[in-house]
Amino acid sequence: MFKKGFLYLALASSCFCPIVQAADMSKVLHVNYEVAEVGFDPAKTNDLYSSGINENIFDTLVTYDYLARPVKLVPNVIEAMPELSADGRTYTFHLKKGIYFSDDPAFKGVKRELTAEDYVYSLKRLVDPVVHSPNGYLVSDKIVGLEELSHAPRGKFDYNTPIPGLKALDRYTLQITIKEPNSSFLYFLGMIHLAAVAREVMETYADNTMAHPVGTGPYVLKEWKPANKIVLEANPNFRHVELESVGSGKGLDAEIVKDLKGKTLPIAGRVEVSVIEEEQPRWLSFINQEQDIAFIPLNGARKILNVDPRNPGKVSLKPEYASKGIRIQPELLPEITYYFFNMKDPVIGGYTRERIALRRALAMSFDRDQAIRDIRQGRAVPMENIIPRNFVGNNPNLRASTPYDPALANALLDRFGYKIGTDGYRTQPNGEPLEVELAVTPTATDRQWSEAWQAAFDSVKVHLRIKVAKWNENYKASKEGSLQMHGNAWTADYPGADNFLQLLYGPNSGQTNDAFFKNAEYDRLFLESLKLPDSPERNAIYDRMNKIAASYTPWVFSDIRIRTYVSNAYVHGYKQHPILITSWRYMDVQK
Amino acid sequence: MQDMTMTNNSPAELTPPRSLWSLGWQRLKRDRVGFVSLWIVVAFLVVIALCWTRLLASNWGEEVAVPYAPPTWAKGEATAATNGATDANVLGGANGPIITLTPEEDPIGKDIEAARADAGKYQLKATVKADALFMGADVRGRSVVNKVLAGTSTSMLVGIFGALLSVLIGTCLGAFAGYFGRAVDDFLMWFYSVFTSVPDMLLLLAFAAVCGRGFLTLIMVLSFTSWTATFRLVRAEFMKHRSREYVQAADAIGASHLRRMFVHILPNISHLLLVQFSLLLVSLIKYEVILSFLGFGVSVRQVSWGSILGEVPAELMQGYWWQLLAVVIMMSLLVTAVSLLTDALRDALDPKVK
Amino acid sequence: MLSYILRRVWQMIPTLLGVMLLVFIVFNWAGGDPSYILAGKGVSKELIANIHAQLGLDKSLPEQFLLFVTQVLHLDFGVSWSTQQSVIGIMAARIGPSLALTGTLLVAELLTAIPIAILVAYHRGKLIDRTVTILCTVAMSVSSLVYIIVGQYALAYKLGWFPVMGWDDKSLFNSWLHYIPLPLILGLAVSLAPEVRFYRSFVVEELNQDYVRTARAKGLSERVMLFKHVLRNALIPVVTAVTTSLPFLVLGSMLLERFFGIPGMGNELLLAVDKSDFPVIKAITIAIACATMFFNLLADVLYKWIDPRVELK
Repeated sequence: MFKKGFLYLALASSCFCPIVQAADMSKVLHVNYEVAEVGFDPAKTNDLYSSGINENIFDTLVTYDYLARPVKLVPNVIEAMPELSADGRTYTFHLKKGIYFSDDPAFKGVKRELTAEDYVYSLKRLVDPVVHSPNGYLVSDKIVGLEELSHAPRGKFDYNTPIPGLKALDRYTLQITIKEPNSSFLYFLGMIHLAAVAREVMETYADNTMAHPVGTGPYVLKEWKPANKIVLEANPNFRHVELESVGSGKGLDAEIVKDLKGKTLPIAGRVEVSVIEEEQPRWLSFINQEQDIAFIPLNGARKILNVDPRNPGKVSLKPEYASKGIRIQPELLPEITYYFFNMKDPVIGGYTRERIALRRALAMSFDRDQAIRDIRQGRAVPMENIIPRNFVGNNPNLRASTPYDPALANALLDRFGYKIGTDGYRTQPNGEPLEVELAVTPTATDRQWSEAWQAAFDSVKVHLRIKVAKWNENYKASKEGSLQMHGNAWTADYPGADNFLQLLYGPNSGQTNDAFFKNAEYDRLFLESLKLPDSPERNAIYDRMNKIAASYTPWVFSDIRIRTYVSNAYVHGYKQHPILITSWRYMDVQK
Repeated sequence: MQDMTMTNNSPAELTPPRSLWSLGWQRLKRDRVGFVSLWIVVAFLVVIALCWTRLLASNWGEEVAVPYAPPTWAKGEATAATNGATDANVLGGANGPIITLTPEEDPIGKDIEAARADAGKYQLKATVKADALFMGADVRGRSVVNKVLAGTSTSMLVGIFGALLSVLIGTCLGAFAGYFGRAVDDFLMWFYSVFTSVPDMLLLLAFAAVCGRGFLTLIMVLSFTSWTATFRLVRAEFMKHRSREYVQAADAIGASHLRRMFVHILPNISHLLLVQFSLLLVSLIKYEVILSFLGFGVSVRQVSWGSILGEVPAELMQGYWWQLLAVVIMMSLLVTAVSLLTDALRDALDPKVK
Repeated sequence: MLSYILRRVWQMIPTLLGVMLLVFIVFNWAGGDPSYILAGKGVSKELIANIHAQLGLDKSLPEQFLLFVTQVLHLDFGVSWSTQQSVIGIMAARIGPSLALTGTLLVAELLTAIPIAILVAYHRGKLIDRTVTILCTVAMSVSSLVYIIVGQYALAYKLGWFPVMGWDDKSLFNSWLHYIPLPLILGLAVSLAPEVRFYRSFVVEELNQDYVRTARAKGLSERVMLFKHVLRNALIPVVTAVTTSLPFLVLGSMLLERFFGIPGMGNELLLAVDKSDFPVIKAITIAIACATMFFNLLADVLYKWIDPRVELK
């Protein structure tokens, strides 16, 4: 392999010879996004859609095994998984030699090899105030010395300042030291925001890094029409990579291994990504084979699928679709959805028994099964644990949600003195009027959720006011703590339980802890759990944390959606990964 | 700011207004299409009045049927899977006894146990839900007939009050601009051109975003963005009329400016305002639909044609067409009737037709 | 004529200033603060302050407005707050598809609506007139949304006559050939009926004028009269209608663009409003305001050309 790489280098740098390319340039993959991307600077973006593109242009140190479930980290640009020091704080990575960035004028015609310094630069860049990266929080309080660096006065941020936690020991050896042992730290390194960018490129295009992604990944950005179309082409400088994953060795996994055997990745020479926001046209264009893959629109589920009423995971396509050779992959999304109460709020928040009772009664009044049946069209399962299913640490026997019981909710409110007034609605125990505001967005789906909440509040005779605002307004208000109640969905960034449990961690209030929930025991358990590897001891802590959340009811646990991914008959090699956003490099189209 | 000076205008505007209206009524009665339309519009107004006084469709929010129950006359349509609620066990698989928060661990555990004894009086009796209704049911099992009637009432009220307010704004501003001319006209024309130069949709979205949701908001937002046409019309008419003899005569007998504007000139253009009002009624009803589709419609406790149509794209994909049908029938009936009536009025009240 | 045009252009300045003020006030009031989205999951006060400084949101409102005015004067709207791409670049890429759709739609409307309107106006009061009028009224009564939703479902998906949606970035002509027809048909379905009714009423009104009676009395043939006199006078409302319908075209095309994935200005504006991308909103509004004013001027100049009796003040 080394020899081949050497020859490759010699060929490419001579610039006269045609470039040998593994990918078949005549094969074009047609895929779509339902939401517009932002741009292609991995440090500056944190949305799913931009990251999906970045995933194909840039390389992280580690990545995920394509087929293995539960998900498993594997080396990406490194020779082997890193060595971890005895104190659990220092990781040492050995980069593979002969990995090159795609060509760009910023390199002035010279082939540019990926080195350990690139990762040092890229990780420091996440805390550079000029970059104002939304991803800085991932590393700034973890890697030794990075936080101090980030406090450099404006305009004085110097990338050449050495910091103890981030060192290039030699051209190919990277050493990262973190403050405390953290069982999820390697997962962070698998996030695309921590991928390597080249300093020359970032400096050359400093005022528009979003449009000039230059990486070492399988594809390069060929064309970009913001919010409309993104075209990727196979990177001629991409190292030789074949599918190494074997997965379960059965079914789809076995088929993919067989299909991809001996093939060099990426297989398709060109990927065309269209942004199609409306559900109906997106589905119709998939059916017309204008798109290779898609997922079944929520509102189409009953028309398209036969669902086993007792098991929403067990589905089959209706004959008219099955006969076209369309294939399906139903997957639980790596997420939880919940409604939070603002614990700082003078009416709905607080830790006294009467306030707990109010929140508990409201949670009891909400008919979640009906919402799943009618709004989610049955394509969801109830959320019972802060840690979603299929994630390490989820206890399938635990039910931390509040059971639906509006009669009990009424009795409970009576007991705590929330008396029914002359208008038929309850007042606060101190006689003041009681009204709760739910913030929603102006979408058809949110109107359905609003109607469901309206019915719930009516059943316990509490006034509900619904505030409709654009998503970003609600987002801002939730960070400022000025909402009373709002619905949230949290999608996993990495497969660690702490990614979800941190949503109620006190110090994260105003950042990810929108409920502003503070509980000393919960916070202590959270920090303790971070240091522990997967063990019964850690699972016991997780269960306890769930019970604390259940006790104070800062959230109404809602559901976890099931998404049914589909691919047309001529698509090979496609399997949806729960954490990786795209599977494009593995996909083949044989029309 | 052009002024079209036509040399061949007939002096018909001098006809006293009363005879114009009675003449119009006579002509309208002879126009069969217009007359039928009038009765349809009156019927709709009766429906509104009944809904307004809660005599009709006040119970539209009641969940009387299974979700998406089909119309009784199209029962072959697939009904929704009503047993879709899922057992949490099915995915991932529980393998031991279920663990929940125990009363001891729960800070309000004792209270919950005590409350359980009193819960009985709040227990609701299970009601039997119909599996088909005359026009079917929506996602929450509400009757489409009631929902669409309630929606008709809301949409028409939004349209009527929105159009009234819009005509009021447009007439007042237009009257001032046309009557006084000069600086007043310059300023109002500036105001007018600013409003017409910004895309309506942008203003609608921005106003709707600020004002939140609800009936009054809709009326305000719609009238704030739609007064411009009336303004231009009224301004041109006032410019024409202010130099007419009858206005000068009024001046001679010492009538004040306001009196001349609103007592003398206004009745002479009232037929145009009536036509303008009905045109606006139709366009505001349609704007309401688009605003609701984009999510800025009436509140959750209210229903309008727009909010119903907002549900339609999703339903159509699932094959539930009955809400669409019901709304389209009601909407086209009313809007057609109003439009035909407008035409008939335009013809009947046209002073040039003898 | 030239001095008139110059004076009108001079008058555009206060209007443009008014538009800027309106947009500025409305969107500072309603537009929202994009910095929290840009800050992502790890919101901190420092980061927000940092972003505010970068976007110029830390300046006072008068300063921000002054900056806006300077931007308009320099025709430089800076970069989009969300994608950091040059706003002028984004607009340049969006204008083509929008014009391809709305321009074609406008031409198609005129070519179909005016002949039908003249035909029915000529036969006014007869069966054909009544039928067409009533048909138009019924067609108009349904919301444009219903046309789009049902049309796309039936014509593209069920019958497969058109691609469901899409756009060819490389060749505008190709897009025009493949992707414009369906939105065009649906757009036409929405707008044809009101146009026919509108033009009919003007032709009818013109036919009721005294001079027509005089001409008829003089023994002028109906045909000559219709095409030589009536049509000429009825052209004035056509010009007005075309020019005043331009803002409505943007509104109409907004929905069409959204449903059919056409990368036009309307689609971009909806996205920008959604993301509080103020630079893009400002630029598009100013562009549309300028276009509206320009077309209004054009309309007045055309009046004069069509009907020399019109006095330009």
